Amino acid sequence: MPRSATMVNRQQVLADFGELALQSLELDEILHEACRLISTTLGTGRAKVLEIMDRGKSLLVRAGVGWKPGIVGKLYLPMDEHSSETFAIKAREPVITHDISKEDRFEVPPFMKDAGVVAFINVPIFLPGGRTYGLLQVDAIEPQEFGYDDIQFLRTYAIILGPVIDRLLMARILRSTEERFRLTVEAALDYAIFLSDPQDRITDWLPGAEAVFGWTAEEAIGRHTAIIFNPEDLENQRDRWETETARREGVAPNVRWHVRKDGTQVFIEGSTRALRDTDGTLLGFLKIGKDVTERRAGEERLRESEERFRQFGEASSDLIWIRDAATLQFEYLSPAVETLYGTSREALMAGDTLERWADLIYPEDRDQALSRIHSVRAGARTTGTFRIRRPSDDETRWIDNTDFPLFDETGRVQRVAGIAKDVTDARMSAARQEVLVAELQHRSRNLLGVIASLASKTLGEQGPPASFQARLQALSRAQGLLSRYGSDTAEVGALIRAELEAHTEIRPPKVVVSGPRVHLTASQVQNFSLAIHELTTNAVKYGALRNGAGQLSVTWTVGRNGKGQRQVALAWTEQGVEVNPETVNRRGYGRELIERALSYALRAETEFVLAEGGVQCRIQLPLE
Amino acid sequence: MSQAPGPLAGRRVLLVEDEYLIAETMEEWLRMAGAEVIGPVPSVAHALALIEGAAPRLDGAVLDVSLGRGETARPIADRLNELGVPFVFATGDLRIIDDRVHRERPRLEKPIRRLQLLATLEALFASRSPTSR
Repeated sequence: MPRSATMVNRQQVLADFGELALQSLELDEILHEACRLISTTLGTGRAKVLEIMDRGKSLLVRAGVGWKPGIVGKLYLPMDEHSSETFAIKAREPVITHDISKEDRFEVPPFMKDAGVVAFINVPIFLPGGRTYGLLQVDAIEPQEFGYDDIQFLRTYAIILGPVIDRLLMARILRSTEERFRLTVEAALDYAIFLSDPQDRITDWLPGAEAVFGWTAEEAIGRHTAIIFNPEDLENQRDRWETETARREGVAPNVRWHVRKDGTQVFIEGSTRALRDTDGTLLGFLKIGKDVTERRAGEERLRESEERFRQFGEASSDLIWIRDAATLQFEYLSPAVETLYGTSREALMAGDTLERWADLIYPEDRDQALSRIHSVRAGARTTGTFRIRRPSDDETRWIDNTDFPLFDETGRVQRVAGIAKDVTDARMSAARQEVLVAELQHRSRNLLGVIASLASKTLGEQGPPASFQARLQALSRAQGLLSRYGSDTAEVGALIRAELEAHTEIRPPKVVVSGPRVHLTASQVQNFSLAIHELTTNAVKYGALRNGAGQLSVTWTVGRNGKGQRQVALAWTEQGVEVNPETVNRRGYGRELIERALSYALRAETEFVLAEGGVQCRIQLPLE
Repeated sequence: MSQAPGPLAGRRVLLVEDEYLIAETMEEWLRMAGAEVIGPVPSVAHALALIEGAAPRLDGAVLDVSLGRGETARPIADRLNELGVPFVFATGDLRIIDDRVHRERPRLEKPIRRLQLLATLEALFASRSPTSR
């Protein structure tokens, strides 16, 4: 081929290649085509492109024609100092070997010798900016005189290849970045991600949005985002507020309940972001949100459970307390602490709360109370009672405690807790009960003694059995009144009326009974009512109540005696009675009872006089 | 009266009992048995006053345990203990005196019967001669 024709042909090849390079986006395709065109044009049948790999340590046979399988795309050549390839890259200019049998500068890679290569040219390929991409290599299996034109052609070719390779490499990087982004976004199924246009119509609906809201991309795209708003939010124009806020401020919070395709509710925590062009034109909105329904429900359950415990603790009249097992400090104290311990919750929760608490306990009980806390920390359950001095009123209170450990999931004691109750009243009433039982036993045994004594006195002095019976009945009436009041006391008026009613039908105005309500204790009642009994039977037999002849008045007042003691002063006054001196002189057991029994143990003063018109008796009985 | 014949002849016995009717009856029983009764008195104060006046010449005592208004005979018992005067408790409440010092004392349960009271006092005095001349 004449030189000019060759030149034209080569120009044509370059132009064709340039066209391909503009159209194709596949680097491998372009490099392969480049090798084909060159080997054809130069008539060698072999060409290849080597790419620098491993930061300059090796060369990959990236593309090529005329080679056995297993070489292109696979073979790596080390970049050692003795290769022509390395030399060409370092020299940054073409290196030609006309005949490898005469070549003493370089070592030729074995696969080239195997392929029968005897001559070759290496032309470096530079990327824009000067970085070396690799080599364009043309191989011939016969010794060849590569001429100036050949070399210029190959250099031109390499110069065209540089930017083409660069563009495609950039595109590949870009594509992989985009791909990565797409994969990431599509895999984020927990996140609902979608885009809407400036009118808030959905334009892009990513798989996460489908997973969260239930609408497919096909269904969602083109519709207004109102499809995922709650009706109430739409009514309040929440959708408008969000896009307006995003438009104005760039971003708006989007944290609320949304509605799914099936009508169920999903709670989203996210935001709405305005998307703008470089010139500020609004393109639409990017909405990203996370489905936190489960987490919220969990939080709600936790809140409810905490609230339930709080209500329980706040309402309990027993104290509920919890200490940290490690520090033994209070973590929780229910409000009942203020009643039980007479100290504010705040005061007990401040500072060293173990010490503060222990300070309230009686010193004698303190060590045991503390050791119980420690044994609970060691895993035991304990109960016990200690006394405290309640600061609010300085009273001694008995506190009953049931203490128990609270374990964590590994079985370690995490907290020490307990329920405390003020048992002071219960203890007092138990003690009172004990006293009452003792008192009852004492009284009933004494009563038998009294009855025996009455019997021997009355009957021993040849008194009629009827008198004994009457005295016994008076005693039993008094006992009956005592138990009726249930409070261990009996009222003076009731005692007197009961006695009078038992012995006479005579009623007011012939009998007057009047005085303030005043109670006598059990020990007073017995002797007092026996005395009233003797006065009554005496009046019935010989005095004012005999045949309704006279008048009886029984009156009493409450005041102070000479020693300043409270006392009841009673006057028994009979009138209109014809006095019979014989009966007056009779100092019987009845009169003895009246005059002595009350004064003996009850320190009463009695005065029994038979005056003109009837008996006048005064009794002054100190009250206890 | 102190020289009257009887199982307790010549014995001076303090009687403490707050219930008038019972005190009176016991007093009579003791007198009939020949004893000289010191009292009866219803309270600790009265009893201690009598003891201080008559102590060297007391042969024994009968003490009601519960003396009303929560008062017990314990101070009297303590004082008699110091003086070495023997005594018996008369009680309606079996638990009320139960301390170590007095637990071993003879004790009469109410209601008290005459023969029981006299026999107990006789036993109490068996090894002692009367203090009074």
